[in-house]
Amino acid sequence: MSDGGPERQSPDGGETVPPTSRRELLRLGAAAGAVVLTVRPGIAQAATSVLNCQIPVPDPARAGMAVASDGTMVPAGTQDAFAGGRVFTGEQVRSGLRGGNLPGTGYEESQAYLNYVRRLNHGRSGFTCYASLMVPR
Amino acid sequence: MPDAIYRAEPPEALVRTSLGAIDALYHRRSGTTHLVAAPMPQILEALAEGPADPSLLWQRLSARFDLADDADAALPALRERLAELEALGLVRREPGGAS
Amino acid sequence: MPHAIGLAVGPATFRIGSAWRGPLAQLRALYADYPAVDLERQVPDFTVRLQPARPWRRFVRPSVFIAGDYWLAEAAPMALEHGLLAAEMGMNLQMALGWRRHLLLHAASVEKDGRAIILTGESGSGKSTLAAQLGERGWRLMGDEFALLDLETGAAHPFPRLVSLKNQSIDVVTAGLPAARLGPRLEGTAKGMLRHLVPRRDAIARMHDPAMPALLLFPRFGLPLAERPVAPGEAFVRLTQASTNYVALGEPGFRALTRFVTGVPARALDYPDGATAMAALDRLWAERA
Repeated sequence: MSDGGPERQSPDGGETVPPTSRRELLRLGAAAGAVVLTVRPGIAQAATSVLNCQIPVPDPARAGMAVASDGTMVPAGTQDAFAGGRVFTGEQVRSGLRGGNLPGTGYEESQAYLNYVRRLNHGRSGFTCYASLMVPR
Repeated sequence: MPDAIYRAEPPEALVRTSLGAIDALYHRRSGTTHLVAAPMPQILEALAEGPADPSLLWQRLSARFDLADDADAALPALRERLAELEALGLVRREPGGAS
Repeated sequence: MPHAIGLAVGPATFRIGSAWRGPLAQLRALYADYPAVDLERQVPDFTVRLQPARPWRRFVRPSVFIAGDYWLAEAAPMALEHGLLAAEMGMNLQMALGWRRHLLLHAASVEKDGRAIILTGESGSGKSTLAAQLGERGWRLMGDEFALLDLETGAAHPFPRLVSLKNQSIDVVTAGLPAARLGPRLEGTAKGMLRHLVPRRDAIARMHDPAMPALLLFPRFGLPLAERPVAPGEAFVRLTQASTNYVALGEPGFRALTRFVTGVPARALDYPDGATAMAALDRLWAERA
């Protein structure tokens, strides 16, 4: 930004006095290029969506147990519990958390698995994937 | 047709950081980052003083800056800039015209 | 997975599972100086799995598909002799897609006198090679693939994995180095000939020592020597493209990146060869003091 305003000679000559107007120059008209750039995710980010990550229900360490409707693990064969043994993508879980059903499941089974996912904590397989869904965008 | 009145987004809606010649803006609601060069940061500052139509905004800008545009080009240019800012969600237009 | 090993690099831990022994044996040898990870006691941040694209491909024309907590559905499988490379790529992928504890930049970083240079650029810009060369000449290598910036303090945290050297840079960097620090020569990879270099002992030992960045460098290899300052606005835009998690981090990412570009001077450096670059960097480093 250049300074505006002319310089003036002082009355006794020889020395210049700083200009009275030192306002910056501003152009409102469109310059030779856009003045706004909006950041878009890089190609790498767009192509490799975090939604590809996997959440197994239940995690492999608990294979063989069943998932109760509140998401806790119960012995296989427990009444009103679901067998699990499914693996869902982050995208599928995210739709489920927003109100859809997980693929291949009815409403109650879907809710049981989603409650299981909500109870995941650090150390269970799929937690990292679930946590990444929760990062506010 | 009376000019629209524009209003800046509330202060908590945007995080604005100067990077020298350009400003970086983070729009909280959408999580989008915009980088804006002159005259956008200056327009946003002028609008922060209070809602204004383009004519009033032009007066505020003239008081602070030497405008490089020809007298008849300045106001149409300012209207274009405001429309661009509105399209990005960085300013909003009040319903109704100038009072 | 029949075989698995745990690895710790900087703040991240990995479980590498594999249907084949070979790649894990190579990893174990090259990461021998790294802290041990007991998978029985410690839950790793990420899992990488080297698995056959189809069950029978474990034995017949073996081909490795990189899987794990994060994976690319469209990625092509790799030959078994590139299993080591597949494991390294798998770890890169987990960090790129899953790490949220720091702002991640595709950048190399080196440290001296408690301050860091962040070298960022696309593949082929020479940052890995230059960082490796600096690492052998008095600088501490903090990493060649990812720079991890602390979201609160702006400090650079080390992430010193095996350095990937490609094609001509292999001989230039590895001349005179002991064989124990070098991985196998991998030919015919997507990027040509590739060889991994183990960072020096002290770089590994200090993998938890962060350093405040003092210089951001945009290097370009293979051009006559030229240097110019880079304005914060330009640096910011280029770094958003060099970050895999800037958008996902939201406001903390914005604050960390704006703090970085306004607080750290940036320079673009074109250079014809490593020796010239290192002399230029010595000069830049002395000037900033």
